[in-house]
Amino acid sequence: MGADARYDMLRSKAALGRLTFALMAIGFAVLLALGGGLVWLVQQTRVYAGSVASTQELRLSLVQILNMLQDAETGQRGYLLTGEASYLEPYQAALPPLEAALPDLVARVVADGGQAELPRRFVGLAEAKIEEMRRTLGLAEDGQREAALALVRGGEGRRLMDDIRTTGEAMQARSAARLAARTGQLDEAGEALLLAAGTALPLLALVALGTVVATWRHLREIEAARAAATTANAELEARVAERTASLAAANEEIQRFAYIVSHDLRAPLVNVMGFTAELEAALGALRDALARAEAADPALVGPAAREAVDADIPEALGFIRSSTERMDRLIAAILRLSREGRRTLAPERLQPEEIVARIADSLRHQLDAAAATLTVEGRLPMLVTDRLALEQVLGNLLDNAVKYLDPARPGRIVLRGRAQGGRAEIEVEDNGRGIDPRDHARIFELFRRSGPQDRPGEGVGLAHVRTLVRRLGGDIACSSERGKGSVFRVTLPLVTPAARLPLPGDPVA
Amino acid sequence: MTAPLPVTIVMIEDDDGHARLIEKNLKRAGVFNEVVHLASGTAALDYLLGPGRPAQSPMLVLLDLNLPDMSGIDILVRIKDDAELRLAPVIVLTTTDDQREIRRCYELGCNVYITKPVNYETFAQAVRQLGLFLAVIQVPPAP
Repeated sequence: MGADARYDMLRSKAALGRLTFALMAIGFAVLLALGGGLVWLVQQTRVYAGSVASTQELRLSLVQILNMLQDAETGQRGYLLTGEASYLEPYQAALPPLEAALPDLVARVVADGGQAELPRRFVGLAEAKIEEMRRTLGLAEDGQREAALALVRGGEGRRLMDDIRTTGEAMQARSAARLAARTGQLDEAGEALLLAAGTALPLLALVALGTVVATWRHLREIEAARAAATTANAELEARVAERTASLAAANEEIQRFAYIVSHDLRAPLVNVMGFTAELEAALGALRDALARAEAADPALVGPAAREAVDADIPEALGFIRSSTERMDRLIAAILRLSREGRRTLAPERLQPEEIVARIADSLRHQLDAAAATLTVEGRLPMLVTDRLALEQVLGNLLDNAVKYLDPARPGRIVLRGRAQGGRAEIEVEDNGRGIDPRDHARIFELFRRSGPQDRPGEGVGLAHVRTLVRRLGGDIACSSERGKGSVFRVTLPLVTPAARLPLPGDPVA
Repeated sequence: MTAPLPVTIVMIEDDDGHARLIEKNLKRAGVFNEVVHLASGTAALDYLLGPGRPAQSPMLVLLDLNLPDMSGIDILVRIKDDAELRLAPVIVLTTTDDQREIRRCYELGCNVYITKPVNYETFAQAVRQLGLFLAVIQVPPAP
């Protein structure tokens, strides 16, 4: 997949994410509106139920008032006709509650949502009716029954009663209409809500489905991406392992090469030195013979022969000898390096200060001779590493520091260290003669040295140190200024992993 | 002076120069036994284990480890695997001074391991001392 395509996919994924989010937002908004509508409807229903109850109560009150009026009228008429007090009882029973109910009626109707006009008329009529009844009954009590009856016959009472009935019916009709209107409203709201729910719910279902599908797709994509990453990782690891293995193999090959070469170089060297010695021994015999011949007859031995035996041959043999000895030392150095690369590391917990103290003891004589001081600044980090390797690394560095001090000033060698991010850094600083910047990399190569060649050595120490440090999984660098001093900075893992895997060709221990 | 037993010294050494120097110094130490010089591993195995193997005379093997055609260790293994030859003392005389190699040789049954010193005086001295040693050690007779 190209970068552009990948970018497009990412962008479309982002768009998809936004769409999903928008759909979900809409879905939730709809759900919320639906919920709000439902709450409103419930509230409306409660209001409705309350108002229906009050309307019914009102209607009941109206009927009761009418009944009471009728009872009162019946009682009035019975009493007026018969003159017997017992007939007056319904009147007497109806009148107090009637008079109590009437004053509130207008307010109650208005509160129920009706108009004041009709109830006001109704109350007026009812009060007029009561007044009429009271007047007739008053006349009857005063003994003027006929006058009272005449009043009744006059029909005012009946007319009033009829008006009351018509008005009451009109009120009932109105309240019924109010009830119907309310029910209609509620029905409409319910229907609207039902309609809304009817449209919203499929929409919601659609949104939910869409979201689920989008999420599922997204999850699948994530899963696929993770699988791809895992595969890529595995591939990468495999590749790293492959490279590491081939690197280790190459390294091993070099080690074996150095090992074999140094051995095979040594064998002819034994011959060169051996037969040189044989030659020297033979030269001795020759010299004796020459001396005897000269003693017998000086003319027998010419100056050339004497020169050869006394000067030329010994000189040649001397050069052969010193060169082979040097070669032997160089081979020994190569051998040591190759052996160091093959040695099995044995990491253990080490306190570098102890090692430094031991080295300082062994360098005491040189330090004193150079009037130099060796100090450890602060604490050196605790390490888990190979003791021998660390001893040799620090030993070589300190040995060099002492060896290349500047006689012009008192020597000062400082060690300091710190741990950081799983690695330890140990610095060996001196105020010695310093190293030319051109040689900062070169000095770590085998048989390479820097500065005036006035100190013994083969150019092996730092090469050895670098080999060791790298084997421990670290590295070494140098910073130095001529005439000022040098700093060698060794970085090592705080914990060196245990022994490397045995390589093919390792002798069985 | 002659060695107390007619022991044959079988010298397996690919470097003719080394072989010559060893012989010279053995003679200087007074060892005049017969020295059979074999310059390759194949020749050595052929001599020691081949059809014409010397059955009668007791022998002592001087073995170099760095042979062109095989490792001296292989020869050591073959010698120590052989019912008759395994009694013969084997002196490994080689340039290798690798500790693991030395250990391995002793584990496989070598009797003495000597590193050839590059310094000739030391070398000569080592061989001469070996000669003195050869003059006194007892080698089991051939069965």
